[in-house]
Amino acid sequence: MLRIALVVALSVVVTSCSRGPVMTTEVVAVPAQKPVATPADGAWDSAPEHVAKLLVQDLVEPRLMKPSTAEVRVRALQNGGEMAFRLDWKDGTQNDLPGPAKFLDGCAVQIPEKVEVNPPDPQMGSAGHPVQITFWRADWQASVNGRKDDIHSLYPNASVDHYPFQAHSLEPGSAAQKEMMQRYAPAQAMGNRRVGPREFPVEAMMAEGPGTLSPGAGLLARGAGVRTKTGWQVVLVRKAPAGLSAKVRTQVAFAIWEGSAQEVGSRKMRTGWIPLALREAK
Amino acid sequence: MARVNNWQLGREMSYWYPESRPQRQFAAVFDTNKCIACQTCTLACKTTWTSGRGQEYMLWNNVESKPYGFYPLAWDLKLLEMLNGGAWNGNKYEGQTIFESAPAGERVLGWRPEQQDYAYPNVGEDDCAGQVDKGAGMMSLPHMNWFFYLARICNHCTYPACLASCPRGSIYKRPEDGIVLVDQGRCRGYQECVKGCPYKKVFFNPMTGTSEKCIACYPKMEQGIQPQCFVNCIGKIRLAGYISKPGQERAENPIDYLVRIRKIALPLFPQFGLEPNVYYIPPIHVPLSFSRQLFGPGADEAVKAYRNAANDADLSSLLCLFGSSEQVMTRWSRQGDLVSGLDDKGSTLVRVPRNEPVFTRPAYDKLYQITRTNCP
Repeated sequence: MLRIALVVALSVVVTSCSRGPVMTTEVVAVPAQKPVATPADGAWDSAPEHVAKLLVQDLVEPRLMKPSTAEVRVRALQNGGEMAFRLDWKDGTQNDLPGPAKFLDGCAVQIPEKVEVNPPDPQMGSAGHPVQITFWRADWQASVNGRKDDIHSLYPNASVDHYPFQAHSLEPGSAAQKEMMQRYAPAQAMGNRRVGPREFPVEAMMAEGPGTLSPGAGLLARGAGVRTKTGWQVVLVRKAPAGLSAKVRTQVAFAIWEGSAQEVGSRKMRTGWIPLALREAK
Repeated sequence: MARVNNWQLGREMSYWYPESRPQRQFAAVFDTNKCIACQTCTLACKTTWTSGRGQEYMLWNNVESKPYGFYPLAWDLKLLEMLNGGAWNGNKYEGQTIFESAPAGERVLGWRPEQQDYAYPNVGEDDCAGQVDKGAGMMSLPHMNWFFYLARICNHCTYPACLASCPRGSIYKRPEDGIVLVDQGRCRGYQECVKGCPYKKVFFNPMTGTSEKCIACYPKMEQGIQPQCFVNCIGKIRLAGYISKPGQERAENPIDYLVRIRKIALPLFPQFGLEPNVYYIPPIHVPLSFSRQLFGPGADEAVKAYRNAANDADLSSLLCLFGSSEQVMTRWSRQGDLVSGLDDKGSTLVRVPRNEPVFTRPAYDKLYQITRTNCP
């Protein structure tokens, strides 16, 4: 407790003495009037910045053997019910086109499902100790931004003779046409949420260990990402962890996927647990 | 890693999961000597399963000309190079499989094709290594003038590398028939399976964000009907069925008879270690050194047996069953010059003659005083 008190005290001192962004050794979510879902919102200026050093995921196969993104800068806001994180990281390549052997830029925030003394394994949680994950991907962002969900958006020069769902006998938009389309899109027929179109470029999930990632039914997931001069700036919005208060801390972890380095799934740069504190409105 | 038995290697090997053979294993025999690369199989599959968005480039079934045809480009050469060839001692493989040579951080030794590697599905088609009359004018390669057609589908391996590669357990092998499937509800499109499958028979769909593959037309197989690429085969090169567990071979099972008893049909690149379940009767006019590399050390004897098939009543009879019925023939029997294909219950599905009657039509029809051939 003494250490925490010192950290908080140090944060206050730094806040009052410097003009640049306030750095913290933990992620501190400061109050905001409303849920913030855009990276450019001025409310972010009130939040201190935590610079999280990233590690290669080399604990479970398939591993990432070569480091890529070095660090991610994090700010957090909360309005009681919701919590928003803004992640900034350097990325010289924009990877938002899916395809064979093509991978996407992405980022994620991970928080234990429950505030508990002994947090789950930081590597995707563990059995009986689930974690909640909020995940953003660059291709979903492009889709939300208006890129059409068709093959010509990915391959402008593609030539397609005919799709069965374009048969003249099928009325556009009819149930019969949708059924025909699903015949050749089994993932869509199965309700796989990887399939577009998308309302948000963010997905909520939960996990109880590596390889157990599953849709986080009922979990809030909003957000948006923008391409900056040096990389990406992404906001991830989720519900505030149950039981979190100004008196009780929990943990948070981050992950970054660099598409040009063929990072996907467990091949990622990640952090361990970082303390997550809540600062309440005065 | 578990230790499992791979009968095609003549030894145990390491695999990501313990040995768990299905109740019965989907298997097939392809006679490469009959294939004419008409690609009817390719189209039959394409129109049935992969006519949707994101599936444009996918060929769950393809036919490539060997040695210079590939889909995707150099799919086999790249891995052979990574494996340093591999070495056989008689019927025992003494090199490393793709599981045993997995680099640090990986589950299997693999590589992932780039987009352009899929761009030329007909590359090398009908290319032999030399001009017909005076040898190769444009190229100077250590080949004779030969090529053959290799039809390929998913091998529904006993030890699938796609399944071992998937960190999410999204790929499964059906216990009832050994068919390997990607769970389209669970897949998250990591493409680890694309990288892991040495035969490159898993494809990423950029529209659905998941990976897809040949399903052995399981809805048909469940009804006792052979897959689309089998029943549409013009050359009648294919026979679908089930192979028995090692040591439980039955001569009445056509696949067992061809693969395990007569050993005339061989696995494709057994040295990779997956125990693939599509078996090939090797081409008889191709250098044996090449066939050995593709089909293992059994190539010499298989070619010899096939060349002698005309004198072998049982073998030639069974070969006549290929393409004779749409239904899955799990048993067969010969009665003199007739051969029957039967189902599990022993009911006759089809009966065909070992030797088709031959009629010779004279070029000149005396009755109507007309020449009936273009080249009398």
